[in-house]
Amino acid sequence: MNANGVPGGGLAKGLAITLRTMTRRSHTQQYPDVSPELPPRSRGVIALLEENCTVCMLCARECPDWCIYIDSHKETAAVPGAARPRQRNVLDRFAIDFSLCMYCGICVEVCPFDALYWTPEFEYAEYDIRDLLHEKDRLGEWMATVPPPPAHDPNGEPAKEEAAARKAAGPVAS
Amino acid sequence: MVELPGVLGEPIRFVLNWGRRYSLWVFNFGLACCAIEFIATSMGRHDFIRLGVIPFAHGPRQADLMVVSGTVTDKMAPAIKRLYDQMPEPKYVISFGACSNCGGPYWDSYSVTKGVDQLIPVDVYVPGCPPRPEALLHGILRLQEKIAGEQSGLGGVNRPDPLAGAGVAALTAPPVRAPE
Repeated sequence: MNANGVPGGGLAKGLAITLRTMTRRSHTQQYPDVSPELPPRSRGVIALLEENCTVCMLCARECPDWCIYIDSHKETAAVPGAARPRQRNVLDRFAIDFSLCMYCGICVEVCPFDALYWTPEFEYAEYDIRDLLHEKDRLGEWMATVPPPPAHDPNGEPAKEEAAARKAAGPVAS
Repeated sequence: MVELPGVLGEPIRFVLNWGRRYSLWVFNFGLACCAIEFIATSMGRHDFIRLGVIPFAHGPRQADLMVVSGTVTDKMAPAIKRLYDQMPEPKYVISFGACSNCGGPYWDSYSVTKGVDQLIPVDVYVPGCPPRPEALLHGILRLQEKIAGEQSGLGGVNRPDPLAGAGVAALTAPPVRAPE
């Protein structure tokens, strides 16, 4: 009935909270007018850097949803002086079905040649579900929105190559 | 569906659509984790009442927009169909998240409907697993653009049910039999 023995104390307490909240600024994000501040490494959509793809099919095999479709063919290039012609894979089709994708990022993780990247874009709702199947060119367009990688920790251990180069340069007077 | 008399014309159509797009009483068919994102969108931080989406519909009979957020199971499918049929025209559906788009991670499950668009017509598909609250806001904006372009009359836009008249045979695959 009352908060601390005084009749109406609870009411006063509630009104005090209401008054305090009234004087504060609202924290509503004005989304369509102001673009949201997304956290780093935010998972919006997956971009494809086509030049890096070697059609190893690791992403398509590891995808838990099987939502990556890859078609390719082999091209033989005769190299003069070589014992036999070289073969290389050519990517014909790379499509990710974003209506099916569960945004786990396993494809980005397993890609051995960094052909897939996360981008924070999320504005691709569609009227037709078939438009959510992003083909190679549309996945390539997302590459423009890939953020730069996060900076290294200044207190972190230097990279192996850097440490080796420094060791080879000899002791530095410090 | 009452056809709009020709004399009223474009300004009346514009006013009708303007009223419809900024007064979407929404009915949340929350079935899984995406419903939490829907609730987050309705709360103070994202607050889709700014866009005219009002989450206080008493039930489907008072709602204009249904947001299907979550995994649609075959067990839930009749309820979704029934509640959609209870909504008055004009009615709109947003499919929110991978599960209601096409089954999502559970597309191979025995019990999951492969997308809510197999049951009811969907206007906007919002991708994500779950989508960000801003993604739902973007989906709502897309829906409002669609409503603004509608050739609607006084009774709402006439949208024939794509599944009407289709028998059970059209919706089911023949059973797979083991070779003898």
